[in-house]
Amino acid sequence: MLSVYIDFKSAASYLALKPSLALRERHQLEIAWKPYQTQARDLPDQLENESVGQRHRRVRALSQRATWLKYAALQGVPLHFPERPGVTDLALGVLARLKTEDEQLRYIQAAFEAYWVAHADLNDPTFVTKLITQVKLAGALNEDSARAALTASQAHAEDLGVVDAPAYILADHLFIGREHLPWIEELIISDTTE
Amino acid sequence: MHVLESSAPLIVYIDVKSPYAFIALGPTLAPETELGLQFEWRPLSLDIPSYLGSAEKKQGKVVASKGRSARTWNAIRYAYRDARRYAERQGLILKGTEKIWDSRLANTAIHWVSKMDRPKLSAYFQAVYPAFWRRELDIEDIGVVTQCVAHAGVTTEGLEAFLEGAGRHLHDHLQPQFHTHGLYGVPTYVFDDEILFGREHLPYIRWCLSGKSGPAPDIAYELTPC
Repeated sequence: MLSVYIDFKSAASYLALKPSLALRERHQLEIAWKPYQTQARDLPDQLENESVGQRHRRVRALSQRATWLKYAALQGVPLHFPERPGVTDLALGVLARLKTEDEQLRYIQAAFEAYWVAHADLNDPTFVTKLITQVKLAGALNEDSARAALTASQAHAEDLGVVDAPAYILADHLFIGREHLPWIEELIISDTTE
Repeated sequence: MHVLESSAPLIVYIDVKSPYAFIALGPTLAPETELGLQFEWRPLSLDIPSYLGSAEKKQGKVVASKGRSARTWNAIRYAYRDARRYAERQGLILKGTEKIWDSRLANTAIHWVSKMDRPKLSAYFQAVYPAFWRRELDIEDIGVVTQCVAHAGVTTEGLEAFLEGAGRHLHDHLQPQFHTHGLYGVPTYVFDDEILFGREHLPYIRWCLSGKSGPAPDIAYELTPC
């Protein structure tokens, strides 16, 4: 089974959704969608006495954002950066507790859109409850258990070597980023034909 | 020379000491050949300690480390493992470096080869990159860089003076322009109004350079057969 670690506030995770679902469709795969807390930072301001390192990080952040926007437009995915990165922990914790892929998929798609289109607060219990209702998940929000599930999932991911999202785990292979999908697909095909 | 301007259809910025640039070489040379184009290859010498901290290894063990958090170390380890597996797919050996090298000489020689005998540029890359990443080359030694140029079949007459004079000037003239114009890493591809970092953009670049036929491809690391 393919496991995919995502974070709703990660533009790279959001842009990986369509191509990952296409892969799933092509090979009738089952995917376990799992949460991973990425580190999201504000776009750095240009400082008056900027060091080379600070300038490097600023230029890199601007470039990454431009690249995400470019591929979002090519994919036809609505992606609007919020003024400041949000916290998505509670919504991620709920994902950690979902049992079926069908539930996970309905929830993931709604959560990504809520973050990247409506700039919803995915750490707000009221909003996350609304999201759960919207996608008709069974059971009510249990905030403590959701947060505990996220902590456990994060620790497990880190043990596996995950350092960012989206991260794909297939058998003992770890790939970070959707740019690896050709290799992942090759592994799936070779596994199917063996 | 302006960092974003060239008469070539594509500018490719690389650095000999970058594992990403190393594994991007073959995949970038492929469309150049297939499409019958001549890209302009230029050096971008990374200032790694300024943004990733620094470290020195001896016999595979870190003996000195500055400014690197545990998370940074994990990301660096993953990046090396990832680069290594793609290198292996290309039949290349990629060993982690023992220190952060000063690659300016080997990078400046890219200007020399481009100027003196452009068709041999690929041979120069073959002379310097794989051996460096097998830890067999001291790229800080001007004699070693000269040997690589000679090995590529390019004249070395006047090379030393170029590396220390006009070539160095050209190299140093480009360096301060990078951040100002949005470049920060290698490989970086510049064409039309686009600046794209990473070989994952090669499917898109190939699509653009060949007439944008069909839907635009997403980012992907193109595979070489195992």
